[in-house]
This record gives sequence, C-alpha cells and structure tokens, in this order.
Amino acid sequence: MPEPKTVSSVPPPLVALAGWVVPGAGYFLIGHKTRALVVLVTIMLLFLGGMLIGGVRVVDAPNLRGSGSIGYEIAQKPWFIGQVLAGPISLVGAAVSRHFPASHARVFEIGTLYTAVAGMLNLMALIDSAHRAARGDVR
Amino acid sequence: MNLVSLCFPCILAYTPFVDPLPVWDVWYLTLVPLTVGIAVVYKAVKCNEVSQIPKQAAVISLYILGGLLGAALGLWAVVSWIS
Repeated sequence: MPEPKTVSSVPPPLVALAGWVVPGAGYFLIGHKTRALVVLVTIMLLFLGGMLIGGVRVVDAPNLRGSGSIGYEIAQKPWFIGQVLAGPISLVGAAVSRHFPASHARVFEIGTLYTAVAGMLNLMALIDSAHRAARGDVR
Repeated sequence: MNLVSLCFPCILAYTPFVDPLPVWDVWYLTLVPLTVGIAVVYKAVKCNEVSQIPKQAAVISLYILGGLLGAALGLWAVVSWIS
C-alpha cells in the first residue's frame, strides 16, 4: 500500500518566489536539496558564463523612463524578459552593465543567449518546484 | 613594463566580465556547455530520482549535439550543392 503523500507546509507561491530570488531555493524549501543544488549551480554557471563570454553588457535592461511607452521599451530589449527570470542577479547585472561598453557581433549574441536561457530554465525549475509543493511532493 | 606584460600583452589587456571572451574563432565550442546546462536543468526537473540526472543529462546532451551537427552538415550540403 503506497504511503499517503504529505502536503507541503510551504505555500506554492512562496516556493516559486524563493526559486526566483535564488535559483533552486524552491526545491530547497520542499526538501529536494540535491536537486536544488544542481539547479543553482547550473543556472548560475550559465548566467555567469554568458556574462563572461559576452561581457557584463549582455544584460541590458530596457529604459522604462524612455520616451516610448513601456511596451515599446521592453520590445526593444526582449532578451531581458528571459534574463530577469534568473533572479536578482540579472537586476544587479543590468545596473552594473550601464557603466561598460557593449561587445558586438557573435560573442555578444552568444552571451545574451546564455543569460536568457539561464533565466528560462529557472522559470521551468520554479514552476516545477511550486507544482511539487502543491501536490505534496515534499521530502 | 614587466616581463609578464611583454610576454602576454593580450592576456593583460583582457578584463573578465568586461571584455568579451576571445572565442571568435571557436565560437561553436560554446554550444557544448550551453547544451549540457540545458540538459542538466531539464533532467533535474523531469527525473524523480536525482541519481538518474547525470546519465540522462549526458544522453540528452549527446542527442542535442548530434542533432545540431546533423543540421549543420545538412545545411552545408545544401549550400554546397546550390553554389
């Protein structure tokens, strides 16, 4: 007879939020510590690897105080939508990057790709951790 | 000017995270860690047992890299045939 699953005491939205603040923290909250470590290390390596390849300027936030509408400004820098999903590190990167010149051509594109993919993978991980919390997959 | 700067002027001019990594000639190698990273996180989400992650991530990484290589060879063949 299978054991009844315990229901997580941590609300799924909090698990998702923790997963955004620190990649893998959502898994950590529900007791999947090794999985949390794997996600944290991999996403951080991808994000930092992207900044190493293309320079910190690959994290380029839209100027929300610009002359265009917010939608227009975001559409000018669509990769930042993916990058910001990697957590506050993207916001720090965007704040720092304004002080440095941008790289160009292929290395810039590869760096942008790395950082945006890291963010999108973190989105997948935080959705999964919140889903596991909701269905009681707690250890 | 010291001995190091005489021997390695390019290295000294490079500032990590500010200057882009000089991988222009071998840019395609950057696909490998990206592929491995995607595979590891994907399998970390999908696998119920964490112990399965390394093997399954290695397999799916090889599949992705094989697919990319196949697509590259196919496109190269088409371009060569057209030109």
